[in-house]
Amino acid sequence: MATEIRLQDAPGEKAPLFVLPADIDHEGRFIESELHVFPEELRVVTSGVIERSIPLARVTELRAEGLVGNGSLVAVVDGEEQLVVRYTNDHLARYSEMARQVNRMLKGEPYSTILTADERICPKCGRYLPGGSTVCPRCVDKTAVLKRMWQVTKPHVQWLILGTGIFWVIALLRLAGPQINRMLVNTVLQSGTGTMGQLLFYVGLMVAVAVATNLMHVAQARVMTNLSSRLSRDLRSLVYAKIQELTLTYISRRKTGDLMNRVRRDTNTIQRFIQGQAAAGINEGLLLIGICVIIFAYDWKLAALVILPAPFVVAIAGAIRKRIRIMYHQQWRAGDQADSLLQDVLSGVRVVKAFGQEEREVRRFVRYSHKLAEITARNEKTWNTLFPSLRYIMGVGSFIVLLYGGQRVLGKQMDIGELVQFSQYAGMLYGPLQFVSFFPRWFTEAMTAAERIFEVIDAEPDVQESPRALEHTIEGRIEFQNVTFGYEKHEPVLEDINLVIEPGEMVGLVGHSGAGKSTMINLVCRFYDVDEGRILIDGIDIRDIAQHSLRSQIGVVLQETFLFSGTIYENIAYAKDDATPEEVIRAAKIANAHDFIMRFPDGYDTRVGERGQRLSGGERQRIAIARAILHDPKILILDEATASVDTETEYQIQEALARLVKNRTTIAIAHRLSTLRNADRLVVLDKGRIAEVGTHDELMRAKGIYYRLVQAQRQMWRVRAVEG
Amino acid sequence: MSEQKGLEAYAEIRFLAPEECRFEESPGGLLVLHVDGERYESVAVHRAFPFTYGDDYLSVRDKEGNEIGMIKTLKVFDEQTQTLIRKELERRYFVPTITRIDRIKEEFGYGYWEVQTDRGPRRLTIRGVHESVIPIGEERVLIIDVDGNRYEIPRLSDLDPKSYKLIDQYLV
Repeated sequence: MATEIRLQDAPGEKAPLFVLPADIDHEGRFIESELHVFPEELRVVTSGVIERSIPLARVTELRAEGLVGNGSLVAVVDGEEQLVVRYTNDHLARYSEMARQVNRMLKGEPYSTILTADERICPKCGRYLPGGSTVCPRCVDKTAVLKRMWQVTKPHVQWLILGTGIFWVIALLRLAGPQINRMLVNTVLQSGTGTMGQLLFYVGLMVAVAVATNLMHVAQARVMTNLSSRLSRDLRSLVYAKIQELTLTYISRRKTGDLMNRVRRDTNTIQRFIQGQAAAGINEGLLLIGICVIIFAYDWKLAALVILPAPFVVAIAGAIRKRIRIMYHQQWRAGDQADSLLQDVLSGVRVVKAFGQEEREVRRFVRYSHKLAEITARNEKTWNTLFPSLRYIMGVGSFIVLLYGGQRVLGKQMDIGELVQFSQYAGMLYGPLQFVSFFPRWFTEAMTAAERIFEVIDAEPDVQESPRALEHTIEGRIEFQNVTFGYEKHEPVLEDINLVIEPGEMVGLVGHSGAGKSTMINLVCRFYDVDEGRILIDGIDIRDIAQHSLRSQIGVVLQETFLFSGTIYENIAYAKDDATPEEVIRAAKIANAHDFIMRFPDGYDTRVGERGQRLSGGERQRIAIARAILHDPKILILDEATASVDTETEYQIQEALARLVKNRTTIAIAHRLSTLRNADRLVVLDKGRIAEVGTHDELMRAKGIYYRLVQAQRQMWRVRAVEG
Repeated sequence: MSEQKGLEAYAEIRFLAPEECRFEESPGGLLVLHVDGERYESVAVHRAFPFTYGDDYLSVRDKEGNEIGMIKTLKVFDEQTQTLIRKELERRYFVPTITRIDRIKEEFGYGYWEVQTDRGPRRLTIRGVHESVIPIGEERVLIIDVDGNRYEIPRLSDLDPKSYKLIDQYLV
């Protein structure tokens, strides 16, 4: 459990800047101390008593060390390192952020006292939040979610009404069965005056009711499937559209799998709930109410007897459910282990064979599969013992009815028909009861899924379209004015960048990884907004250019060339739907792609396979270049456009790129510095700042960072040449 | 021939012998190492095989994370030095031993555990049993909670029956 950060005002003195829990003592025991950081000193406080204090005037640096299962805060005091406090991993992120801010304060730089470390705990109940979500499954406001669901359901209300109508009909039909039974027994079988005609009539009636019930069930399934698939389709489209609209910040903070779950699994959960559980729930609920009304109206004492075992049934079903869940969870896990082993071995089969380890792998697999077999057998045994017992307990109600009712029949207070009817109702009662014990769980699951979907739908994009945003035809002049930016605001990746790129100029960005090259490109595309300063295109702040207008004029060729599954033709024409075949071929020719495309049996209609796996790296890149050429952007961004390809292919790509960059403002990033030899200017970034600007020759003469990078790379190539 | 020699140079392990080095505790409570006439402040001690060999094969690293040398086994050092290094190991590897499990409540994919450890009582939250409850060999279990805190059960058979039953459902 994480302790809450408390900001408290001690009377008569300034409030601390930070208060952080320090929950391990120097001997390694859990304690409840706190670290209070004041502008002048650090204080370790245990239950209100100041245990230790270190004047910040003597401190030059704080270091938050992340260790294994815990962390330590170390301060450099008078030049000597000192252990200040220890803390569990719960507070790791907070300490490192606090140390960073205090270090800025010690250096006299601007700092923040607000810790932004992601809170993963529900503020209401203290439970951990499921990955990437701020919706607590426990505290989710179910009525609010239902209201939202209603908004989504409204357009399909005719289906809902139809479905509800059918539910009533089904409930009435099911309730009618025992009534007919009673009449059959009383008027035909027992009265002594029954005729064959009457018998045929009642039996016919029962057949008709059974047929009608079945037909209604079919109709109900169709209506509910219709409703639920429409609803989940709507929800899915809403989420999908929203994800497209949301910025990279939102998406990159979440795992791709997590967002995919929102689109797929959560909408599926809701669909399943509506067409399966909710439908059955309403059916069973109506039946339960109907039965209760009838039997209580008829004979409340008998009805009470019938209801008597109900609470036990609900309780026992609940307990069994829990037990079963654990059992099947274990079985599922054992199966999963065997599966992953199998998957491992199959995908690594070459390694297994090359090292001659087949036998060992077989032994391993046998062990897992043996375990799985054991657990499965045990579970089946338990299940097959438990479930019939539950059935039996449920049946007890019928026995009670028989006993009590039979005695009343003997005493002539009740006729046989009524007894038959009653015991049938008693038998029907337990299906709904068992269902009731499962329902809350399904309902919660569905509501949580719905809330998670609404969470995405309601998210505000970080990059907002300004009301003044205008369409602008780009000339190609890009200007960075005092730009500072960080993905987390307290941690700037770019600081005070000033740079002018003239129309048609090609600028190469150079620097170590993490220097901020890709970030500059992200800002030009306006995937993020700058924190300070501004970026101008043709003298207009990019925040005032409509996002669509801006991005439709920027072309990107990325290192990880992404091709969508589809044909080569579709991939080249991706950014221009109305491209003619001639345009596509021309673009491919400029990109040196036409000839290899024509060598494929299906030419431009060749399917590229998932993410273009059927093409080589060089081929994929040239298709991406053709795509950019056809897109005809005013501003072109090349991110490491030539990676691992052979010399001939690299030449082809370089040539294609040279054609592509002509007359376009180009920003290029390449780790291989030779790729940038066509650049008009090189900008060297170092730790988020511009360190050097100039041509290759100028920078080589200056013998600065660029010179060293070139030297290091030459060295590396030489080594590779020797090894290769 | 010269290539052979080159490889050996890369593969060389510098083992710190007790007679050539001296460990001490700084006034600030951190570990200091004197070796080859150098004083290394705030050295860190990492276990190379935390599960298989424990206190054998320790790597002693300087503040920047460069290896100064390795310790093959703590036993060759005198008592005082062993205590110092163990203290530093304890600071790096904070792994309380779970002595009793009082309660496990499962809700919405998270497990909320209330346990007693050798460092005091603790409540922890785990997610996804696979990555969180990790058997090491037959008897030992490592538990990692959502924050990355670690707990250990050194011998399952030493647990009381109730605790054992609670943890058993996570062990396959």
